[in-house]
Amino acid sequence: MTSNVNTSVQPTKDTVPEKKERASSVVKVLTTDRMWLLVVLIVLLITATAIADGLRLLVAPFTVRYLSVSLIALVPLALLALAETFVILSGRSGIDLSVGGLVSIAGMFFGSMVVDHGLSIVLAAFITVVFATLLGALNGFLVGFLGFPPLIATLATGYAFSSIALVMHDGAPYSDPKLTGMNELTAGIGPGALAIPWHVVTVLLPVGLLAWMALSKMRWGRSLYAVGTSDSAARYSAINQKLVRASAYAVAGLLAGITALVNVAQFASARPDAGTAGNGLALPAITIAVLGGVAIAGGVGKIGGALMAALFVTWMNAIILIAFPGSFGSRVQLLALGIVLIGAVLLNQAAARHQAT
Amino acid sequence: MTHTPMDTLTVSTRRAIARERRTLIEGQELVLIGVIALVWLALSFATNTFWTAGNIQTILYSIAPIAIIGVGMTAVMVTAGIDVSVGSQLAVVTASVGLILKELQWGIVSTAVAALVIGGLLGAINALLIVKGNIHPMIVTFGTLNIFRFVALQIFGDSQIPGVPGTFSFIGGSSAAVTLGIPNAIWLAILLVLLQWIYMRSYSGGRHIYAIGNDARAARLAGINVGRKLFLLYLSVGFLVAVAALVQLGAGGLVQQNVGLGLEMKVIAACVIGGTSVLGGRGTVLGTLLGALLVGTVTSAITLLGWSSELTNLFVGVFIIIAVGIDLLRQRRRARL
Repeated sequence: MTSNVNTSVQPTKDTVPEKKERASSVVKVLTTDRMWLLVVLIVLLITATAIADGLRLLVAPFTVRYLSVSLIALVPLALLALAETFVILSGRSGIDLSVGGLVSIAGMFFGSMVVDHGLSIVLAAFITVVFATLLGALNGFLVGFLGFPPLIATLATGYAFSSIALVMHDGAPYSDPKLTGMNELTAGIGPGALAIPWHVVTVLLPVGLLAWMALSKMRWGRSLYAVGTSDSAARYSAINQKLVRASAYAVAGLLAGITALVNVAQFASARPDAGTAGNGLALPAITIAVLGGVAIAGGVGKIGGALMAALFVTWMNAIILIAFPGSFGSRVQLLALGIVLIGAVLLNQAAARHQAT
Repeated sequence: MTHTPMDTLTVSTRRAIARERRTLIEGQELVLIGVIALVWLALSFATNTFWTAGNIQTILYSIAPIAIIGVGMTAVMVTAGIDVSVGSQLAVVTASVGLILKELQWGIVSTAVAALVIGGLLGAINALLIVKGNIHPMIVTFGTLNIFRFVALQIFGDSQIPGVPGTFSFIGGSSAAVTLGIPNAIWLAILLVLLQWIYMRSYSGGRHIYAIGNDARAARLAGINVGRKLFLLYLSVGFLVAVAALVQLGAGGLVQQNVGLGLEMKVIAACVIGGTSVLGGRGTVLGTLLGALLVGTVTSAITLLGWSSELTNLFVGVFIIIAVGIDLLRQRRRARL
């Protein structure tokens, strides 16, 4: 994928001198702003797939409808990538390995509230999000106030969450007509082929917008960047760095809680291994956050980058499934995710070196 | 150990430092030995099957792969690095070795060499990207976690590998592969742990690992070839994964596609419970071995007590919090000295 970019960027270097200035500023934006690089990658991906479709190289037809339907996978992926963005931004090797376990336990909690305790969907959803936020705050307390290394604290709590999720209903999922009804929320809306899943509009867009406002426009977000960049500098600027860092983990918990609800709606039931099956949800979420330009050292990253990365990975995965037949396709998804992650970071570093010289 | 210049230290602190250097076992390890002894004592009262040779051997065999990979992981984590791709590495080696044994019927030596070559290759890829590409180890190994899993699944094709011959049964989990009442696999793990323990403790090359973890820049200025050291450490993880794969393959049989899934978390948990700091600069392989032993004991205990096996991870999580919490308290006390 990255080689595609290089070849497409290459010609700009050979253009006539007066255009050189403008062309190099385009290159600069692409190599320094991850969001625009990803936008270009998405356009390239779709163009390449359309050409492949024209040449009849694909297993199934490539349509606009396919792209809009596949957005259903975007919602959980993007929500958790946002969760990781906040946490990684908070610095001191910030990371949250527990989001997978949190999605499982919050989903089961929600299922229990609805099925065992007969609560209404809305009330149960509200309590579930509060519950998930508290579990996230537990991570925040361990990391921010007690000084646990984030990797360790969230590894441990993730173990605990996923384990409790598995035993709380004896490993069985909660399924109920009320939960099945939530599946309506993920139905497509809009005209014909452009019908995108309902919860992309009702859940993901508002959450993304709020996350962007919180990070770019609010005092809290600016403090988070400060804490992530330098702990002591933030302290001397009268920022309560422990509280700010802890709150990033609580926000991650909140987002994982929303993801749990989305998961229940998509699968029409609450599964005990919703967030932990296979490689789990935490690893892809971290991968997407990093792909979106969030620096693992903290203090650098944007919401737009993370969202674009989630969109890119969603469509890449969907296209891989129609490009390669059967189980080979799902295997290629792993390969592509790994290569894109490392490729993006290598590209960034090459750009940084280029600028330094 | 301390960042304070020597000349400003009081006599008593200097003595304390000297004492710490002399002791063979560090504080975290003592705590762990105590905890393990307590759990064992409790289990011997609560069950009458815990202290049977068969059960102890099963526990020990189950922790052998974790301890063996932990030998490399501990060193990597002491440099403030990490390798989360070990589970996928293990899958690649196990799948290829399974096919080699089944289809080509190679002997012990040639298969072992093949395993080490494959493991070393995977380790070298990580090492190259981390050292030459200058990318954060966590990002690299998150990437290769996916890539190596793809490779493993390609080797599997669309099916599991049944009927792998038991060429390596002498280090496998059967009751025959036991010497002096202890599984051969754990003897192998103990040997590797001892070698690494002596190296990291008493050789300048081993001390350099700690120096890099405390301050990589200072280590470079002090004349340590940081890049080369890191390369060799990530390479060693690949070799050790190969050994662990042979142990896990052991008596042969069925190799499933989910082999090694989640293994990285178990190894990291063993390291951390054993007192290795993910921030670098601290940790011993002896602690990792004890950490693996505690995890193995808890897993076995839950089965013996008739509890749901899903509870295992809850206890592992709680033990991680307790172990790291105690370590944080001790650090705070040491900082106050």
